[in-house]
Amino acid sequence: MRLDRLSALILMLIAGGAIAPLGVALARVEVGEAVENVDMPTLDGGRAPLLARKALANVIVFFRPDQEHSVETLRRLVGCEKSFAGKPVHWVAVVSDSYPVDQVQAVVKEAGIQMPVVRDEGDALYGKLGVRLHPVVGIVDAKQKLVAYEPFRKINYCELVTARIQYVLGEIDDQQLQAAIAPPRATQGGEEQAARRHVKMGEMMLKSGNLAKAEENARQALEKDAKLPGAYALLGNALAGQGKCADAGKAFDEALKLDPQNAAAASGRQKCAGGGAK
Amino acid sequence: MRSRTTFANVALTLLLVPALALAAPANNKKTTAPAGNTGTAHAAFVGKGAPLPQGAKVGWSHAAYENGDCSICHVNKDVKNPGALKASVNDLCFQCHEEFTSVMSRQVKHPPAVERCTNCHNAHNSTEKKLLNADVYTLCNGCHTKIKAIAENSKVKHGALTAGGKCVSCHNPHAANVEKLLVQLPFDLCVNCHSQEGLKDDKGVVLTNFSKLLAANKVWHAPVANKDCSACHQTHGSNNFRLLVEDYPAKFYAPYDPKNYALCFTCHNDKVAATAETTTLTNFRDGSRNLHFLHVNKTERGRTCRACHEVHASPFEHQIREKTPFGSSGWGLNVGWQKTATGGACAKTCHDTKPYSNKTVATKK
Repeated sequence: MRLDRLSALILMLIAGGAIAPLGVALARVEVGEAVENVDMPTLDGGRAPLLARKALANVIVFFRPDQEHSVETLRRLVGCEKSFAGKPVHWVAVVSDSYPVDQVQAVVKEAGIQMPVVRDEGDALYGKLGVRLHPVVGIVDAKQKLVAYEPFRKINYCELVTARIQYVLGEIDDQQLQAAIAPPRATQGGEEQAARRHVKMGEMMLKSGNLAKAEENARQALEKDAKLPGAYALLGNALAGQGKCADAGKAFDEALKLDPQNAAAASGRQKCAGGGAK
Repeated sequence: MRSRTTFANVALTLLLVPALALAAPANNKKTTAPAGNTGTAHAAFVGKGAPLPQGAKVGWSHAAYENGDCSICHVNKDVKNPGALKASVNDLCFQCHEEFTSVMSRQVKHPPAVERCTNCHNAHNSTEKKLLNADVYTLCNGCHTKIKAIAENSKVKHGALTAGGKCVSCHNPHAANVEKLLVQLPFDLCVNCHSQEGLKDDKGVVLTNFSKLLAANKVWHAPVANKDCSACHQTHGSNNFRLLVEDYPAKFYAPYDPKNYALCFTCHNDKVAATAETTTLTNFRDGSRNLHFLHVNKTERGRTCRACHEVHASPFEHQIREKTPFGSSGWGLNVGWQKTATGGACAKTCHDTKPYSNKTVATKK
């Protein structure tokens, strides 16, 4: 009786398009195209759907238990999987049924992934999807559309998969996704940064009363960035401290021209005008 | 557990050393140790952060130290008694080196740099540029001993490790946006050097200009397209030619042994060359007759991957070669592959023109 009900339910789901029988589903699928759901056997002898209907993101991990990159990826995906805990993300790992269940179970246990693992009978799903490389992560959105298909990368693979999922969930925007795909060069800042460093150093010199060094740093800063208001303000204060208010005034004016809100230049000019320095 | 902790501490220390070097201000200048330098320092820096001993040949001096006012960082002005630091090392450094506040917010951080700039830099003076506690190679490899062993013991060496910026040509010792503290994705780094004519390997063999190759060949191998050179190449050193991570047959013919194809099988399914009949493993098949198996899986004269495929880029789908080097002189033999509505065909060169059909099952590449 229960079996009859189950059969009827499966037939209804197939008729409704929720689950398609393996073999007719998943014909050639490219990014942007729909992925039909399929019901597949699990490692423990049960069955599980490839896609979860309520998930906003379905993450399908194709792997081989005898391959270093696959095993490494499963290990690294543990953290990734955990980071999406409680979110509408459905994970599933797919392995060829040509591998003994014991072997797959040992690898899965060692890696520590929590996602269900389904067996691809006769490599039918692999064949239908045209999966040639391992590991591969496919990401399917709530409309069951394949939105990303990412083969293994030695560098930044989990970061990329994470960003792809976040994008599907709406947690990051296009720009942030692009930054994950092509991370910006990690540099230290160049000439303009060096100029600001001179200003900082000069300000310390000024504070400790070494006016000549403060002036020197201000001039070095301006050599690197002639439009740095802070450098002109520093120069003005260093000159004012040396009693050179006329020259200091020019520097303060330049600073305020570039940044009318520059407090150091404004107060310095006031001091000069008030006879605080000659 | 204890040894792990010790190792981690040592590793961190070594890693931080280069980080501090890069943090040094641009206005460092060659000088000698200032008079009055006692060579003593805050206890935390003994042996690492103290100025070079008086009379030592100083290569570079920190502007803040050169100023002679110790109170910029220490509680006292007095060179003979500077006292403790006014704040934590990194907080002090970042007062001037303000860009590091942003740098250190990057996703991938170098633990020694997070801990203390002076793990790698001397805040006073140094014999090395960037106020490093040692030269970059020595500093990094002090902790990264496995990398050092690979670099020095491998049959094939990578010149990048010992030339130019050495480790920091590719790695940012402070923090980066890419794993392994890489400054950019691998390909973007590799082409900085491998996009010039006449670059040679350690045996004097001229290396490929990749910018030129990729511009002329629009079908790129997935690791190339994904900027992941390290999927196939071991950048610190390897026992395989061209720094490959695994074996790859160097010739047109080779007896079939999966070990010979270890490199390709790190990503590609080895079953593709071991299964005579399939409709799922490859599209290079006539019906279910696996033509990869047919060509490759032979006890003596199996065709190797290179017989038909380029490894980086090609004008044709699947990186199929236009010509293949054949014979001892490397004569270019036309492969003559053409895509057809039902599969493909190879022109009469190695054999008569032979079409094949894989239309029984549609797949994507």
